[in-house]
Amino acid sequence: MARIGNTRQAFIETLMEIARQDPRTVLVCADSILVIRARPFAQEFPDRFIDVGIAEQNAVALAAGMASCGLVPYVATYAGFITMRACEQVRTFVAYPGLNVRFIGANGGIAAGEREGVTHQFFEDLGIMRTIPGITVVAPADQQQVKEATTAIHKVQGPAYMRIGSGRDPIVECEYRPFELGKIRILADFGRDVAIFANGPILNRAICAAERLRQEGIKAVVADVHTLRPIDRDGILELIRQTRSAVTVEDHNIIGGLGSAIAELACQDCPVPVMRLGLPDTYPRSGEPEALWDHYDMGVDDIERAARHAIALRNTNDDR
Amino acid sequence: MDLLNKIRQLEDTARQIRIDIVTMIYQAGDGHPGPSLSVVELITACYFHLLNIDPANPRKPDRDRLILSKGHACPALYAALARKGYFPHSDLKGLRSLHSHLQGHPDMNKTPGVDFTSGSLGHGVSIGLGMVLAGRITGHDYYVYVITGDGEIEEGIVWEAAISASKYKADRLIVMVDNNGIQSGGPISQVSGIEPIIPKWEAFGWFCQQINGHDIGQIIQAVDNAKSQRGRPSLILAKTIKGQGVPFMVGDNSWHKRVPTREQYEQALKALGASVDG
Repeated sequence: MARIGNTRQAFIETLMEIARQDPRTVLVCADSILVIRARPFAQEFPDRFIDVGIAEQNAVALAAGMASCGLVPYVATYAGFITMRACEQVRTFVAYPGLNVRFIGANGGIAAGEREGVTHQFFEDLGIMRTIPGITVVAPADQQQVKEATTAIHKVQGPAYMRIGSGRDPIVECEYRPFELGKIRILADFGRDVAIFANGPILNRAICAAERLRQEGIKAVVADVHTLRPIDRDGILELIRQTRSAVTVEDHNIIGGLGSAIAELACQDCPVPVMRLGLPDTYPRSGEPEALWDHYDMGVDDIERAARHAIALRNTNDDR
Repeated sequence: MDLLNKIRQLEDTARQIRIDIVTMIYQAGDGHPGPSLSVVELITACYFHLLNIDPANPRKPDRDRLILSKGHACPALYAALARKGYFPHSDLKGLRSLHSHLQGHPDMNKTPGVDFTSGSLGHGVSIGLGMVLAGRITGHDYYVYVITGDGEIEEGIVWEAAISASKYKADRLIVMVDNNGIQSGGPISQVSGIEPIIPKWEAFGWFCQQINGHDIGQIIQAVDNAKSQRGRPSLILAKTIKGQGVPFMVGDNSWHKRVPTREQYEQALKALGASVDG
C-alpha cells in the first residue's frame, strides 16, 4: 500500500505562500472552505477570501469580473461543480476572454469520490476542460506534485484548471522528478518495449505493472502526463516512436481524457496500437478507492494485460 | 451647462444612436433592433454623463465600468462607444462581419471600450460584483453599472449574485433592468413568473427604484439616489418600450431580431429625423 498524502492541504499551503508574495491572489469558495482546507487562508487574508455560498456559477463569473480588474482569483471546490455546473461560465466568461482565473477541482476521479458515489466522483473534468480552448489543464500525481503544479499554474497567462483529490491521496512512490508544466516525467524506465502513460495517483499501479512486466522480460517505460494542455507532444511522440506500442491508464472516463489525448497524437503522427484503460464509459459505484480501480478495469493486472496486447498488436502489424 | 440643457443634448445623442442602430442592422443584414432601441437612454446617460471614463485610455484601472449584460443590444453600445470616440464611427458598418472588431455580441478583447464580454444572458450582475469586490482589493473606488434585460433576470445565477452582492454590501454596484416587458418568446408575464420584479430584489436586500427608462433626467436622478446609498447594492427598474423611437417596431415583437427592408429602413430614419443618406 502506498503512503497517503493530502493534495487539498498541499494546494492551500502553497496558495498561502503565493498569496504572501503576490497581492493579486484571491481565493473564491462556494461553501468549500472545509473542502479546500481554506480556514487558515481566510484567517490570514480575510480581504482576499470570498465565499459566495453554494453557488458555483456565481463563483466563476464573479472571479471572471475580478480577473478583468487585474486580480488572480482561484475558484476552488469540487471538480464537477466547476467543470459541469459552471461549465458555461468557465468557457464563455473566463476562457474566451483569456482571463487569469485558476480552477481547483477536488475529488477528481472515481477513487476520490469514495463512499459518496457518482454525485461526488468526477471523471469527466479533464475531458471537459480539454475541449474548451485556451485552458491549461493539469492533473498532478500527488501532494508534492500539487505543490509544484500550483506554483507553476500561478505563472500561466490565461486560465488554468488543476485536478486534486479527496485529501486522502496516495503518494506516488518513485524517484523524485520535478514538475515542469507541459513536460512529461519519466517515473520508471526499463526499456522501450512499451510505453505506459498515466497521471494522478494511479501512476503507482502503472509503475507496479512495469516492474512486473520486467520480471516477464517486457521492458516498459512509465511517463506521467500531468499536463494535458499544453500537452508534451514531442516528449510523448518520442516514446511512442521508440516503443511503437502504448498503454494509457487514468482515473477518468475512457472518453476525453489522457487516453484520448495520447490516441489523438499517435493517430496523426505515429499510428501505433494504443490500449486505453480508465472508467469504461459507465457510472461507478461507491466503494473503497483501490477496490474501485480494480473493479473498473484499472488494476495492475489490467495494465499488464493491455501492455502485452499492445505489443502483440504491434508485432502483428509488423508481420503484415 | 445646466442640467436641462445637458439633458436636451443627451436626448439628441440618444436620437443619433437610434439612427446608428437601425443603420447598422440594416447594413449588416442581422441584429436585434427592438431590444437595442429600448436601452438607448440608459446607454446614453451612462456613457455621456454618468461614467468616469477616458476613451483615450479605455483600460484605465480606476475607471467606472459598464457591462451590457443583455449583449444582444450591442448595436446601442457600439454606437455609443463610437460616438464617444473609442473607435471611428465608420467602423459601425462592419457589425457582425468577419474582419470587423464588432462581434455579434460584445467582446472585451476586440472592441475598445467594452468592459466585459457578454451575450449569454444572466451574467452581468455576478461579473459586476466581482469587479466591485476587486476594486476594494486594488484600492479603486469606481462604480460598476450593469444593464440587464428583464427576461434575463429569470436566470438562476442572477439571484445567486443578488444574494452575494447583498452579503458583501456592494454599494458601488448599480444594476439597471431594461424592463421593456417582452422577451424573445413573448411578454415576460406570459413566458415566466418573474414579475413582480421589485419586491424580489427588495427581499434580497437591494435598494430599488422604478423609473421611466426613456427619461434621461429620471435616469440621472436615480443613479444619484443609488450613489447616496451606503451598504446596499442598487437596482433601477427602468420601464422601457421595445423598439422605442421607430413606431412600426413598437408593439411588434417580430422586431426582437429582424432586419428592416429598404423601405422600412427609410421609414425608420424619417421617424428618427434623419435623412435617408444618414
